[in-house]
Amino acid sequence: MRLVAAELVDSRQILPGQWLQSFHAPELATGSRAGQFVHVRTGDYSGLVLRRPFSINTADPATGIVTLHFRTVGRGTEWLTRVREGEKLDMLGPLGRPFEVDPRSRHLLLIAGGLGMAGVRMLADEAIRDGRQVTILFGALSAGHVYPSSLLPDEVEYVVATDDGSLGHHGYVTDLVQEYEAWADQAFACGPYPMLERLARLASGRRDRLGVAKLGRKRGRGKTDPLGSTGARRKAFLQVSMEQTMGCAVGACLGCTVIGVEGPLRVCREGPVFASDEIAWPQA
Amino acid sequence: MKAKKTVIAFGDMRLGVDSDRSRRTPTVRKPKGAMVPVDRFKPPVGRARVETGASAVADLGNPTAVQPTMAEREALDRIDLSVDLAPDRGLLLANPILVASGTFGYGVEYGEVVDVQRIGAICCKGTTLRPRAGNQPPRVTETPGGMLNSIGLQNPGVDAVIEKYGPIWQGWKVPVIVNVAGESIEDYVEVARRLDGVPGVAGIELNISCPNVGKGGLQFAIDRDAARAVTAAVRRATELPLLVKLSPNVADVRPIAKAIEEAGADAITAINTLSGLAVSPDRTRAFLGNTYGGLSGPAVKPVALRIVYEVAQVVSIPIVAIGGVTNLDDVLDFLACGAVAVQVGTAIFADPELPVRLGDELRAECLRRGLDSYRPLIGTALPQRTGPASAKGAEYRP
Repeated sequence: MRLVAAELVDSRQILPGQWLQSFHAPELATGSRAGQFVHVRTGDYSGLVLRRPFSINTADPATGIVTLHFRTVGRGTEWLTRVREGEKLDMLGPLGRPFEVDPRSRHLLLIAGGLGMAGVRMLADEAIRDGRQVTILFGALSAGHVYPSSLLPDEVEYVVATDDGSLGHHGYVTDLVQEYEAWADQAFACGPYPMLERLARLASGRRDRLGVAKLGRKRGRGKTDPLGSTGARRKAFLQVSMEQTMGCAVGACLGCTVIGVEGPLRVCREGPVFASDEIAWPQA
Repeated sequence: MKAKKTVIAFGDMRLGVDSDRSRRTPTVRKPKGAMVPVDRFKPPVGRARVETGASAVADLGNPTAVQPTMAEREALDRIDLSVDLAPDRGLLLANPILVASGTFGYGVEYGEVVDVQRIGAICCKGTTLRPRAGNQPPRVTETPGGMLNSIGLQNPGVDAVIEKYGPIWQGWKVPVIVNVAGESIEDYVEVARRLDGVPGVAGIELNISCPNVGKGGLQFAIDRDAARAVTAAVRRATELPLLVKLSPNVADVRPIAKAIEEAGADAITAINTLSGLAVSPDRTRAFLGNTYGGLSGPAVKPVALRIVYEVAQVVSIPIVAIGGVTNLDDVLDFLACGAVAVQVGTAIFADPELPVRLGDELRAECLRRGLDSYRPLIGTALPQRTGPASAKGAEYRP
C-alpha cells in the first residue's frame, strides 16, 4: 500500500457509460494481484471528499501500465472521464486481499455480471500465465453492454448471457453455471449482489449434486484453516469480490463492512475477495 | 506447502517502536531536525496552501521544489508548536494537529503510508465496555462537501483494545487518546477505570455525542445535568487527562460546555458529527442501514467554527476543534476562534498525509509571521472581553 502518482496514458469509452483508462504506475503494476483495488482521489473542486475505489482491471509489470474499468455513476466517475492524458492521479494502492487460486486448480470459472468484469478480468491474465484454463461467463443487459471479447486474452473461453436474449444465452449468467460446475476446479465471481447470492447458493450445493468426495486430509486430522484465512480461501470453490460504499479503504473507518457469518467484515481489509461461505447471505 | 501468511492491519513493524519513552511522564519534546525529512517542508515563503486535485499530485516527488536552507530549517525547528491539553495532568503534544476518532482506526491502519509519529496525537476509534458489531451496511455515503457515516461504534471492546493495541501504543512517541463511548454512566466509568494506568494510553476523550446508535450517549451531550454527571463520574474514576466531545445537535451548547468544565474535564473537543440523512437511489428508503448518519467534512466547518467560538467565550479549559479541516486556512480559522488544537477527520480519507503536512505548514506559517510559537494565533477572532466570561449561556435552560 502506498500513495502513487499515476499518469493517465489512455482513456476510452468501451461501452455506453463504461470507460477503460490506462495509467502509467509501475509501483502498482508490479505489486498488485488479481482482486486488489486502488483508491483514487478525485479533484475536490466540487466538494467531493472521498476517494473512489476501483478494482485493478489489468496490471502489466513489463510496461508499468495498470488499467481501470468503470461506469460513470456520479460526479466522481464523471470527473474521471474528463481527466486528460498526461495528468497524474493520486492513487492509494494496491489495497485489499486478492483472489486465492489453489495451486492444484487446472480449470478456473470466472463469472462476471456487467461491470463485475473489472473485478475478475486480471485473474484471467494471471491464470493463463500460470498455465490454467479459463472460462468466463459474462452476463449483461443486452448485446450493447457486452464486454468486447477483443479486450480479453485469446486463450479464454468466453460465454455470454444477456437478459433480453440479444446475444448468447437468454437469461441470467447464473443459469450457465451448472453446465460448468463439474468442469471447474474453482470459481471466482464479481457482480451485483443478487448474482453473488445465487452463486453462493449454487456453490454450497455443488458437492452434493456432483457427488464429490471431500479431498485432502481426512476429517478430524490435522488442523483446519480458520474461516477467512488465505488457506481456507484457497480451498473454497467459490470466491466472490464484493463492493460497498467506502471511506478510508485501509481498515480504519469501518465504513465498508458487509455482514459475514462471524460478524462484520471490512471489504477493504478482509476483502474485497471473500470465500462465499464467509458471507452471511440472506436466507432464501 | 505452507500458505503464505497474509498480513492484515495489525502489528505493522514499520511503525517505529521506541520503547524507552514512557507515555505517562510527558516531557517537552521538541521535534528534532533529524526526524523531519527535508523534502516534507514547503518553502516558508508566502502562505503555504494545500493544493488539491490533479495539480497537487503532479508535485509529488518533484525534485525541483525549493527546499529550506539550513538556517531556515533551524528557524523552523525553534518554533514551538507544543501544546498541553491537560495542564493539570499533563497531555503534552508535539504539535496541535490531532487525528479524529473514527477516521484513523487505532493508528496502525495508515502506518504504511503515513509517518504516524509526527502527528500531534491520535484519537482512536470509539471504544465501549463490551464488543459491538456496529450498524447494518451501508454505513457511509458521500454528500456535497462532506460525508455521512453511521458505523455504530463497531469495536472489539475495551479489554481487547488494551490487549491488542496497548503494547503498540506504548512504544510510540505520539500520544494516543482513547475515545470512550457507552450507554450509561456506569459504562463510561468502567471503561475509564480499565484504561486508567494502561501504558500507552495518554488520555480519554469522552464521546457523549455519537448520533448513530440508539443509546450511544447522545442523551448525555444534549442535557446539561447529564453531561455534568457523566463527566464528574469519569473524573472520579480516572486520573487520565479527560477530554469531552460536544455534540452540535443541541440548541445552545454553552451551558453544556460550562457544565463539563465545572465537572472537571481537562479539555473540550468540539464538535461531533451533525445528524443527517441520505435517500437510497431508488428513493424507497433511507440509504444508510441505520437510517440516520453523522455529517462530517468541509460542509460542517461553519457550524464547528460557530460552536468553538461560542464555547471559547464561556470556558477557560483548552478547546480542541474539529469539523471540516482540510487545509492550513481551516486550522488558522479554528485557532482564531479560540481552539488550542485541531483534529483532522474526514479529510484524511482523501489525503492521508494531511495531518502531518498541516503541522509542517503551521510551523512555516509561524516563521513567515515571525512568531516563535503558534500561541499568538489563538483567539484572535474572539470579541475582546471587558469583564468576566458571559454567564448568559449558562443561564439558558431548554
